[in-house]
Amino acid sequence: MEDKSVKDDNTLISVEGVSKKFCKLLKTGLYYGMVDVSKQALGLPLSTSLRPHEFWAVDNISFQVKAGEIISVIGANGSGKTTLMRLIAGIYQQDLGHIFIKEGLKVTPIFALNVGLKNEFTGLDNIKLKAAIYGMTAQELKEKLDFIIDFSELKDALQTPVGNYSSGMRARLSYATAIATEPNIFIIDEALAVGDSLFKTKCYEHLEEYVKDPDRAVLYVTNRIKKVMALAHRVLVLRKGQLIKDTNDPGSAMEYYIKDVLGDNISEELKEIKLMKVRYYEM
Amino acid sequence: MGRFYDKMMGRGFLVQQLSITEIVGAYKKSFLGLTWMFVLPLLAVVIWVFLNGAGIIDPGDTGMPYPAYVLLSTSIWGFYLEAYKSTSNLLVTNGRMLIMAKVPFEPFITQKIVVHLINFIIPFLLNVIVLLFFGIRFSWWSLLFPLALVPLFCLGLAIGMFTAILRIIAVDLGTIIDEGMKLMMFLTPVVYTANVSAGYLQSIVKYNPLTYLVGLPRDVLVSGHINHIWATVVCASVSIFIFFVTYRMLIKVGRRVLERLVNN
Repeated sequence: MEDKSVKDDNTLISVEGVSKKFCKLLKTGLYYGMVDVSKQALGLPLSTSLRPHEFWAVDNISFQVKAGEIISVIGANGSGKTTLMRLIAGIYQQDLGHIFIKEGLKVTPIFALNVGLKNEFTGLDNIKLKAAIYGMTAQELKEKLDFIIDFSELKDALQTPVGNYSSGMRARLSYATAIATEPNIFIIDEALAVGDSLFKTKCYEHLEEYVKDPDRAVLYVTNRIKKVMALAHRVLVLRKGQLIKDTNDPGSAMEYYIKDVLGDNISEELKEIKLMKVRYYEM
Repeated sequence: MGRFYDKMMGRGFLVQQLSITEIVGAYKKSFLGLTWMFVLPLLAVVIWVFLNGAGIIDPGDTGMPYPAYVLLSTSIWGFYLEAYKSTSNLLVTNGRMLIMAKVPFEPFITQKIVVHLINFIIPFLLNVIVLLFFGIRFSWWSLLFPLALVPLFCLGLAIGMFTAILRIIAVDLGTIIDEGMKLMMFLTPVVYTANVSAGYLQSIVKYNPLTYLVGLPRDVLVSGHINHIWATVVCASVSIFIFFVTYRMLIKVGRRVLERLVNN
């Protein structure tokens, strides 16, 4: 939702008490879907409480995104990170709460890297298609094409069908095309999990420079500890759909996250051993 | 319609890219390529002519050579059915792309219409040559043929957009509509005339709105005379109205429907 009610000039996004529910059971979920769609079509209010087998994927979350911030969103699998990003991107409709985005700002999300790529088409064809989906016009793409080719480092593979691309090459194509749209809010959902180290480093450096321009911020979802430590100005930790920590200290956020993932049902001694192993492999 | 123009602003490139991807992609791995566009309608005509020649079907007085009647009618029916198919698969085939970014639905609907029209126009031009070969002579009224297709087109798109929603949240209903669309061809004067002699079929044909919507472009193209003008006007008006209602509905609920596609 784009709204003028973001009053503070430095605030780009204001998430206020946002909740989103899903259903655990397939057929029950489809039944609820039929009910909700019928109600929505008729202009009737939708259910805002949990029905049998439903759960809050995002539960009453509030935070703000300020200009210049690189915010990492972390949490165990199924904690609601991607759902929250899709709500902010306007792809999902929240069941409760409001998301205000400063007027006129462009939000570009990158989720699954393969989405929108056509295997039998060349890299260049796919750049055109992706750019169009991200809202670029033919003229804008013409102006940005050299940047995309340079940034993705795919000049020699432009005429190769994307089906023959490695996952890293796909990541480069998607990432470079998305960043070429020059979004104000850039949402990256595990999109940099693949790709070689040099390209990832280049992306990190680019993002740090990118948010220095006015009215820009980056939200990225990852569980890779090194990446959080290297890049994040601020970390949001989610657990079962709730925001349990919002801090400007990535180090403490990571410790908090790891301890949270380990849970309360194991002894302190076992927790410490597991923590040592995580530090050894991930940090 | 204001919303439609707003959402289409600057999205011409997306429509172009999606159309190229769909048309080129469909024939990219095929050796015969676009030839299929011409071969399939003519093959259908051969089958119906064979059935007619064997005395299996009695089409009634078609007023023109039977192969020409079948070719024209099946082309018009195909136009309606493909309009339905193009929009009925809109959310399923583009669902993943639509959740990649907050892309409005309008460019995707427009692209489906563009591709559908291209797929229809090219083989239809060949059909016109075949119709001339069978002795069909066109008049100035024939120029109104594209306009006469509009109500049928609207109805096909409308049922398709409604089915696009059902395909995700009520799969069984989507399948029933798919099968119903195939069945309707046999209950509509496509391979026989509206003056068919079988009593029960005559009643169905009389109350079937598709009789008038398929008959309108066929009559306009061949004779310039519209049979059952009031029934045709009513059916055409209702079809166009249903199109706008279904379009509004898809735009309103489409995002929530997509959530079910992604999460189920």
